[in-house]
Amino acid sequence: MAGALIVVDRVSKRYTTRSGVVEALRDVSLGVSEGEFCTIIGPSGCGKSTLLAMIGGLATPDDGHISVDGAAVDGPDPTRVATVFQDPGLFPWRTALENVEFGLELQGTPRAERRRIASDLLGPLGLRPFAAKYPRELSGGMRQRVAIARALALDTKIVLMDEPFGALDEQTRVLMGEWLLEIWRRTRKTVIFVTHSLQEAVSLSTRVAVMTARPGRVKLVLDLPMDYPRAIESPEIVALRAKLWGEIREESLRAIAEST
Amino acid sequence: MTVAAIRLALVLALVLAWEGAARFSNPLLSAPPSVVLPALVRVLTLDSYPELPRHLLVTAREIAIAYAMAVLAGLAIGFALGLYRTLGRAYGPILAALYAVPAVVWYPSLMLFFGLDSSSKIAFGFLLGFFPITLAVLAGIRQVSPQLVTVARAFGATPLTTFVKVMVPAMMFTLVGGLRTGLALTVIGVIVGEILGSRQGIGSLINHAYGLLRTADYVALVLVTLVLIVASDALASLVEHRAQRWSE
Repeated sequence: MAGALIVVDRVSKRYTTRSGVVEALRDVSLGVSEGEFCTIIGPSGCGKSTLLAMIGGLATPDDGHISVDGAAVDGPDPTRVATVFQDPGLFPWRTALENVEFGLELQGTPRAERRRIASDLLGPLGLRPFAAKYPRELSGGMRQRVAIARALALDTKIVLMDEPFGALDEQTRVLMGEWLLEIWRRTRKTVIFVTHSLQEAVSLSTRVAVMTARPGRVKLVLDLPMDYPRAIESPEIVALRAKLWGEIREESLRAIAEST
Repeated sequence: MTVAAIRLALVLALVLAWEGAARFSNPLLSAPPSVVLPALVRVLTLDSYPELPRHLLVTAREIAIAYAMAVLAGLAIGFALGLYRTLGRAYGPILAALYAVPAVVWYPSLMLFFGLDSSSKIAFGFLLGFFPITLAVLAGIRQVSPQLVTVARAFGATPLTTFVKVMVPAMMFTLVGGLRTGLALTVIGVIVGEILGSRQGIGSLINHAYGLLRTADYVALVLVTLVLIVASDALASLVEHRAQRWSE
């Protein structure tokens, strides 16, 4: 873990709700090295998103600490970390292009330059014809691609993705995954990707961290050294998928038992 | 085209019905269009009321001052109550309760306090315009998606940039709607105030004509007022549509 780009060190997080204190995460440790595509998978409510929010500086751990690129995280730092959320969260009054420019605008990048950067990003994403469209005129998949372009525009080393394809239909999900893989292989960013989907986990990641039911802990971490693109029917991938499902099934059953 | 024709048909029918009804009533109390039209011409040529422009300016000035105050106070108080939860919980219900009281009950005390001159009309116009603006700000703040605010934070926005680049645009539609309603109510407040008691302004002329049973003049002045109000509201609606297209 030493020397990792992102270090999560014995982090715990509790929430106070009306029905009492909920322990979201307990003693979570995880290291992610530069250039990795690390997937976090686990049952609903296991604190995956909370963990991601803390790495992104949007939430603070109660115990333990998190550092990114050698510096402790104390708030969002868009020069190091860009985030993509499940809800694309596009600004409805901005065109696709203007949405992509948002982060650069906040950083004071001159208008002409940020326009150039945003346009260059839209091209490979198949969004060039839609640059002047508003989010309401775009499909769900296109919106999420704009949200990803908005994150990539910051050109950070690290991109956090919180179930970015969770709201899309399965076909679109698969295509978006292929497309994301291509971008990642070209840019070699460090990605932490939260998902519910075993398929996404096995086809995209260099590593998978499986989390337990609440309070979330890291149950196991698997390395996936296979080449890309991965044939989802290959025996290796099928076996891996079955193994992951075995682990997650156990936790999901616990999560369901506890919530009823 | 057909819509315009149907609309015109209704207007024609109403004018004819008015003409018919008025001819058979007491001529002191009702004026048919055939009598109002010449009166309107005399009003517009400044024949019957040579001081009409001055009175209109008085009214316009009262509306402008009352509206400017209503906008400033409405935005300030709306944002204060909407952005600071404790303040909102403390004062929100009081505001809602006051809004439920028909504002006209305050007018006598405003006249006693501010006198018969412009101040009491400005105060009343302000009172009417203030509430819809404040409430629109509160409703608008509630409409801002927390997700967009989180996105702004993640991309490094300070509270001020979040306010300017996210909150204000996200609530623009509701806000502009409230500003438009506020303007309409301020105009009503000022003119009602003038009619209820004043020495100048278009409302005082209306009250004067009506008090002296100069019914045709009265109707002509009302028509002039109506056209001015409809024109100002049309302008406001144009602005509103702009904002709607932009923010939706």
